Order: sequence, then C-alpha cells, then structure tokens
Amino acid sequence: MEESLLRVKEVGKHFGGLWAVNRASLDVARGSITALVGPNGSGKTTLFNVVFGLHKPDEGCVYFNGERIDHLAPHQVYAKGMVHAFQIPRLFYRLTVLDNMLLAARGHKGDGLLNSVVFRQGWQAQERELADKALELLNLLELDHLTLSPAGELSGGQRKLLEIGRALMADPLLLLLDEPAAGVNPLLGRKIFERIELFRQRGLSFFIIEHRLEILFDFADWVYVMDKGKIAIEGKPEKVAKDSTFYKVYLGD
Amino acid sequence: MNLGLLVYSLDIVVFIGIFAIVALSLNLEYGFTGLGNFGKVAFFLAGAYTYAIVMERTGIPFYLALIIAMLVSAGIGFLVSLPALRLREDYLAIVTLAIGEVLRLVVKTEDSLAHGVWGINVPPAIHWSGMSVLEMRMVNIGLVYFCLILCFILVQLMTRSPYGRVLRAIREDEVAAEALGKNRVKYKAQIFMLGSALAGLGGGLYAQYMQYINPYMFMPMVTFTVWIMVIVGGPANNRGVLIGAVLVTLFERGARIIKDYLLLPIDPINLQYILFGVLVIFLLAYRPQGLLKERQLETKAIEGVQQWKNRSSE
Repeated sequence: MEESLLRVKEVGKHFGGLWAVNRASLDVARGSITALVGPNGSGKTTLFNVVFGLHKPDEGCVYFNGERIDHLAPHQVYAKGMVHAFQIPRLFYRLTVLDNMLLAARGHKGDGLLNSVVFRQGWQAQERELADKALELLNLLELDHLTLSPAGELSGGQRKLLEIGRALMADPLLLLLDEPAAGVNPLLGRKIFERIELFRQRGLSFFIIEHRLEILFDFADWVYVMDKGKIAIEGKPEKVAKDSTFYKVYLGD
Repeated sequence: MNLGLLVYSLDIVVFIGIFAIVALSLNLEYGFTGLGNFGKVAFFLAGAYTYAIVMERTGIPFYLALIIAMLVSAGIGFLVSLPALRLREDYLAIVTLAIGEVLRLVVKTEDSLAHGVWGINVPPAIHWSGMSVLEMRMVNIGLVYFCLILCFILVQLMTRSPYGRVLRAIREDEVAAEALGKNRVKYKAQIFMLGSALAGLGGGLYAQYMQYINPYMFMPMVTFTVWIMVIVGGPANNRGVLIGAVLVTLFERGARIIKDYLLLPIDPINLQYILFGVLVIFLLAYRPQGLLKERQLETKAIEGVQQWKNRSSE
C-alpha cells in the first residue's frame, strides 16, 4: 500500500473533561481531495488545529510525509509543506493583497533580520520571482485587479479566495482548508472548488472541512464523517451519502 | 542673535536628536510590530546608567562605553522579552510599565551602584580643555546626529524589506503570521532587543550630554513623551516619527520658555501635561494615523508591479 501523505493515528485532545477529539484515526492520500464532515461541535476544527500544530494532542500521533509532526509548532509544520487556511479568513487587512501573498512564500531570504539590512542584493531577485508567481495566482483567482489594494477592501468572497491563494503561494504539499465555501454564494462556492480541483490536478493534496455537502461530494475522493470526536464513517462520497448512520449523525435518531 | 539664546536653541537641537533615536526605537516596536512597550524609560535608563557606571569605573573610550550601554540594554530587553512576549498586548503594557519603575527604584536604592539619589557625574564623550559652551553644543550635535542618521538608515532598511513586511503581519494578526510559517516569538524578541539597544544608545548619549544623571530624570513621563512623539508623527512611518520628535520637544521646551512670560494661576509645566493629554485625545479621534500616514511597503519587485499596473491601466 502506498504511504499516505498525512496520517492521524489514534489522536485524542481534551479540554477539561470533554474529549473534543477521541481516538480519531485517518489518512490523506497523496494527490487526493479528502473531506472531513460532521455536525457542529463534532471536533473537526480541533482535529485540524492538532494536525497543523496549534494544539498538542493529549494522545496519539500525527505523521506528515513520513515524519512525526505532533510536537512541532505551526511555523515548523509550515516549513514541512503543510499550509492551513482559516475558516474565517485571517488576512492582514492593512497590507496589500500582494503583500498578503508574498508573506506566505516559504523560505524567502529577505525575511531574516541580517538579510534585510546587509545582504539586500541576495533577495531582490527572489522577491521579483515571488511577485510574478503571486500575480499569476491572483490572475487564476480573478483577484489581479486588486493586487495593490489593502486586503481590508475585499468583499467576503474575495477574502475567501485570497485566503486560499495565500495558502497556494507556499507551494505546499498539503492544504488544510476549513470551510472554503462557507458564507459565499453557491456559484462562487462551486467556483472555489473548481479552482481546488485545478490545483489537485497539478499535484497538490487537499484536506477539507466543509458543510456544503452538495458541492463537496462532487469533488471529494474520500469522506470522513466525524461525530462526538470519533470517526463514525468513512468511504467514497457516493457510499457515504447512502449510509443510514450518516443521516443519523447529522439529523439525530 | 545673542549667545545665550543660541546656546539654548542648540540645546533643544541636541534633545531632539536624542529623543528621535528613542522614538524611532519605539516606532520599530509599536508602530511596525505592534508591541506596546510602556517601559521605554527602563531601557533609556539602562543605557544612561551603564554608560555612567562604565565611564566612572574604567577609562575606556566613550564609543566603547556607548556600545556596552547598547548591549546591556539589549540584554535587559531580552530578559524582559522572555516572559513578556508570551503575554497579550495589554498585559505586555502593564509588565513593561512596571519594569520601568522597578529599574528606577533599583538604581535609586542601591547606593553602591551609582550613588542612589545623589546621582552620578558623567564625563562628556568628547572634551578638550578650554572648550566653550558653544563648542560643547556643536560637538554634541555632531555626535548625536551621526548616531541618529545611522539609526534612521538601519530602521529604514529593516522596515522597507520583506523583514518589515513580516513585522507588519505580526502586528496585524500574529496567529495568522505564525500559520504562514513566521516564528513570531523570534521576530518579536529580535525587535524588542533591537529597540532596547537603540533606546540604550539614546540613554548613553543623554547621560554624557547632561554630565549628571539621577533617578528622578527617568520618571514614567519619559516613556509617555516618547509615545506622544510616535503617535503625533505617525506610527509605522519613520519620517513622521522624526517630525513627531521635533514637534513634541519644541512644545515641551516652548512651555518652559513661556513660563517666564506668562502669568498663569497654575504651573505651566503641569499645564503642559494636560495639553499633552488633550493633544493625544484629539489626534486619536481625528487623525489616528498621525501626521504622516503609514506607507505601503515598497521593494524593487513591488515597484515593478506598480509600473506594470500603471501601464496596463493606461
């Protein structure tokens, strides 16, 4: 069996007496769009936070690309090639769209203190290349006319797109997206997923939390359903959609 | 112009230079990185006292003493940053405010350190026998503005680069910056240390210019004066902060001159504090961005994009 890109093994996380995530195990295959669904409060976002290092798991472990990562801080996980886009876009609102994109680049030499003062020639060319790449991505996301506007001037849907664009800027292996289609109109939601599909074809892997199942199930390869901190069902979207426990989880008995 | 007035004006010029250095350091911390350091005076004091103590006990040249003053301030900055940078914004303000007072009380009560309340005499940095007051002012202006120009170039280079972009990102949303791979604790500690070192440099220059320092010269009001310079001039705009330093120093000195000519029922120095407060409230209400607004970051690559945008929009 091919080794999966992300492996979550028996992970548990509790807040006080509540196990938000309770011995959950799952795999994200390379090049896949893997979905995580479940009712509110079932522990999806907590699981995401454990995966990218914001929370330390109380038990179990997380492997990414063959390495154990559950003891790492978010910026270290980022350096390994996993990027996380927040549910509510957390942009830098007073900085321009372009600055937001450039900030997400991995390994920018100009990010260091010494390089900013002394070796300024060292990163100028890199900065230029990154700006070109940012423009190309913004073009794909239809945000290029806003390149030099402050991110605070963007509409809700555009903010969602920029949040995803920023994540793509890092050339990640895996993107964690927390509800990329929430709060936007159905048309734009579908468009966002079409873009995701486009980047999947270029070799990226996606791990997505989403409540808009009618869109999600058209694009996902594999679905995990979470309930009360546990993985209740997994399978291909067609199969999960027919499963009676799936409805029980969402709608109750 | 008579000599007395000239000497007094040059005194103001020296003060502007010294406080401009401290204001630039606060701008680095607060304006760009969002660190509300309300203990600026602690690092100013650390620089001044280090310079004074080193010069009293050893015979090293003044520039080495200045460098030691910067290093000690940076070291204290590092120690403070260890617990403080893990705190939320408002708690950081409280902790740094307390540290400013603690450090002042230490030099006040520990007589063996620097003669406590009696104060300590500091030799001027550059001195020759038969030096006139005018010459002394001119030499100090040269020294202080040389340091100021170096500091200004340093902060401009730092903030007009991808490094400065990361600082602004941390100011806007540090969790998001961390999620984009930026080690926020490292960046904040660097800025805290560097800001403290620059404040220490300002302190050292202040001590050698005054030629005498005592603990009462380092009251919390110093911190607030520097804050007003940053708020008036424009946070995250280094040029604006220089203007802020000029205006606030002139305002402060102006109040002292007017004192002799105006017959007020209250002490104008106290009135000045009230005016400072009113000024800040008005500024925050009507022009929160300060006199000069923060400018968008410009690196060569971004200038390229701007040109491309302008061409395509024609």
